[in-house]
Amino acid sequence: MSHDLQTEPLLEVKNLSRHYGARIGCEDISFSLWPGEVLGIVGESGSGKSTLLRCLAGIDMPTAGDVLFRHDNAFVNIFTLPESTRRHLMRTAWGIVHQNPRDGLRMDVSAGGNIGERLMDRGDRHYGSIRDHALNWLQRVEIGSTRIDDQPRQFSGGMQQRLQIARVLVSEPRLVFMDEPTGGLDVSVQARLLDLLRVLVRDLGIAAVIVTHDLAVARLLTDRLMVMKDGHVVEQGLTDQVLDDPHHAYTQLLASAVLAA
Amino acid sequence: MTNIATDPMIRAEQISKSFVLHNQGGITLPVMNNISFSVAKGECLVLSGPSGAGKSTLLRILYANYKPTTGHVFVRHHDEVVDIVHARAREVLALRRQTISYVSQFLRVIPRVSTLDIVKDPMLRRHVPEAEAESRAKSMLERLNLPERLWLLPPSTFSGGEQQRVNIARSFVDPTPIMLLDEPTASLDAGNRHIVMDLITATRKAGAAIVGIFHDEVVRDAVATRYLDLSTLKSAA
Repeated sequence: MSHDLQTEPLLEVKNLSRHYGARIGCEDISFSLWPGEVLGIVGESGSGKSTLLRCLAGIDMPTAGDVLFRHDNAFVNIFTLPESTRRHLMRTAWGIVHQNPRDGLRMDVSAGGNIGERLMDRGDRHYGSIRDHALNWLQRVEIGSTRIDDQPRQFSGGMQQRLQIARVLVSEPRLVFMDEPTGGLDVSVQARLLDLLRVLVRDLGIAAVIVTHDLAVARLLTDRLMVMKDGHVVEQGLTDQVLDDPHHAYTQLLASAVLAA
Repeated sequence: MTNIATDPMIRAEQISKSFVLHNQGGITLPVMNNISFSVAKGECLVLSGPSGAGKSTLLRILYANYKPTTGHVFVRHHDEVVDIVHARAREVLALRRQTISYVSQFLRVIPRVSTLDIVKDPMLRRHVPEAEAESRAKSMLERLNLPERLWLLPPSTFSGGEQQRVNIARSFVDPTPIMLLDEPTASLDAGNRHIVMDLITATRKAGAAIVGIFHDEVVRDAVATRYLDLSTLKSAA
């Protein structure tokens, strides 16, 4: 299988567990993710999917296990990196889209500034080109160019979420983590975001891990799916195979409880 | 070792499938038992048999949408042979991008995406240049009689027949070496049904290996080069 397949994964997760005292957040999770792949994590509230995402993204420390990220042609263990190196990677090679846009935006900085900041982290210094980039991204997420100097607090929830996505994607990260990226948005905004994400994955070849409880979103956006229950992965595989021919009792229940996912 | 020059495009070996319903008392529903067949380039194998014979199930197994309980499906991918049943997820994804397509009677797309973008998308995934993808998409939509005023609209408000033609355009604009067709002409009028029949036959003659399900006898007899009758093959499980 040599055609169109990069042989090295971008991310390797090995036996990752996160316990909170005696309680299990997530337990013994292993998988690999390649460039251009979108992995969905589904399961109901409390199944451990957000805990897992927080560990993968380096926000939370696991109790056991490793997360290896391919950087400069070598795998680095993100939990043993010096804090400054990890922070730099998080700002440049990774992007994190939070469920609540307020957690991912600087609320007292203009929309243009929120986008430009990521470019400056990446090393861009030319003010004119940063502003052009910011305008271009506002347009891509369908925020009017007249709003570039407004602060996010003046935006609706849906606009804040789109601004957060622009802020994350402007620096073209290689790996994006998203926690319920379309949760709480109305249906037409959701569709707009799904299309934007789909095109970016196709054109930029970014890899993404998306946590969602919405199986329709998972079907449209992800290539592979992991189904979590009580902190464990109970089934995983091709997204359409897991949803259309589920083998585990819990996945069968999940898939049958949805209208036309 | 396999011989690439003479190997079929698909070789299904001893496929069996049953569904276990864990939330209905764990009952087992057998669908098919021990089915083997192969399909070469330039062939159109039509699956026949009554409702419930397992035609759609078998087609979905060939696409790795369903997992057979036992058996193998060997598929030619470039100059290699891959067992799609046991391949890793990312290998199946690569196969689906380049070698094998599944055309159902329903169009399933992200809302709000324009018809033209939907038809271009599979080509862009295969790195066809944007301008070429655009002109090929337009001529395919024209060929399928989809009025130009609809091209920039998302198909969610289109009629069933129009949506089906968008789906066919997207799949046949840049056909893969293996095409799996599940009732692609179900809601088309007579004129458009003929256009699609011609498209299927032209794609086959250009070298594609096709496996299809068609309830309409006229379509079935026009496109088939061979039949596989599942009602006679299906033995008691």
